[in-house]
Amino acid sequence: MNTTASHAVVSAAALALALGAALAISSAPLTAQAADNEKCFGVAMQGKNDCAAGPGTTCAGTAKVDYQGNAWKLVPQGTCEQTASPTSPTGFGQLEAFKEVKQS
Amino acid sequence: MNSQQDFFAALLDPERDCPADLKTWNGSDPAARFAVYRNNVLSSLIDALAASFPVVQQLVGEAFFRAMAAVYVRHSPPRTRILADYGTDFPTFIEGFAPAGSLPYLADVARLELLRIRAYHAADAAPLNPTVLAAALAVPERLGSLRLRLQPALGLLDSAFAVVSLWAAHQGALALAEVDPDQAQCALVLRNGLAVEVLGIRRGDLVFIQALLQGQPLGAATQPALASDPTFDLGACLAQLLRAGAITHCTYDKQRPLP
Repeated sequence: MNTTASHAVVSAAALALALGAALAISSAPLTAQAADNEKCFGVAMQGKNDCAAGPGTTCAGTAKVDYQGNAWKLVPQGTCEQTASPTSPTGFGQLEAFKEVKQS
Repeated sequence: MNSQQDFFAALLDPERDCPADLKTWNGSDPAARFAVYRNNVLSSLIDALAASFPVVQQLVGEAFFRAMAAVYVRHSPPRTRILADYGTDFPTFIEGFAPAGSLPYLADVARLELLRIRAYHAADAAPLNPTVLAAALAVPERLGSLRLRLQPALGLLDSAFAVVSLWAAHQGALALAEVDPDQAQCALVLRNGLAVEVLGIRRGDLVFIQALLQGQPLGAATQPALASDPTFDLGACLAQLLRAGAITHCTYDKQRPLP
């Protein structure tokens, strides 16, 4: 192993994974994204929503809590209602904004 | 002092007398004509600052802004003919301007507005074709030494205050009442076509992009980002830069850019 590689804390595999993910996310044209994805409410982690409804959270990355019911994330078509959401009354993500149920 | 310097000094300082030896074409009082000119110089420079720093003006109100700007104009008149470049040290001036001391975030809001102006006038740079990065991905063992160059318009601001939210609140994107100004935020300024964008980024993103700007390769830039922010997500950060068209070149060493 050469010196550069042995000094690297971040592995080549991790870099490849990140760059691969970045290319996959960014290469999909926006129109195709709109066609192949659905807005899924209640599945985004805090600050990881693609966009959100409601005052104070009109921009991507502004959800204040995990699984916020009025924050949505683009997910592949058909997977939203299979994605677990502890705040959702159905227990899964929903295609419309919902009122969160209290987490135990 | 020659007469030109005399004239200039009197323009900025209302306490000074009208320069001697001025004549008017119609016999009116030169001092009255000079006062009009002095007023126009001052107010047009204040107007230029108001155009460059609209959010600062909204935060303090027009009367306060114009009074503050008048002090600045007299203290730092333009050094270049390019009015768009006027005010580069206005944020530093605001920081030391005692009457604005109750708004400690004001200087950083001004810094953000300055980055937007800089971005607007920065050189164009075509985004890197993603296929070049896809090719780099085929050689994962060299990824750590890959260097990315970013668009000239890109700007970063690391603030102890909620600069992004304060700015966004004045674009109608959020309610000002909901903004906690004392929440530290990092801002990324980019230009997409002719539109200048302000994005809130995480601390790790800022450290990573700073390292890229310093010419650090991908591996070395990722380490300080993870060290400063364990939640740093390299994939998400790169995706954001790619989507914005912010990456313009990539190379394994500084001399030979990839095709």
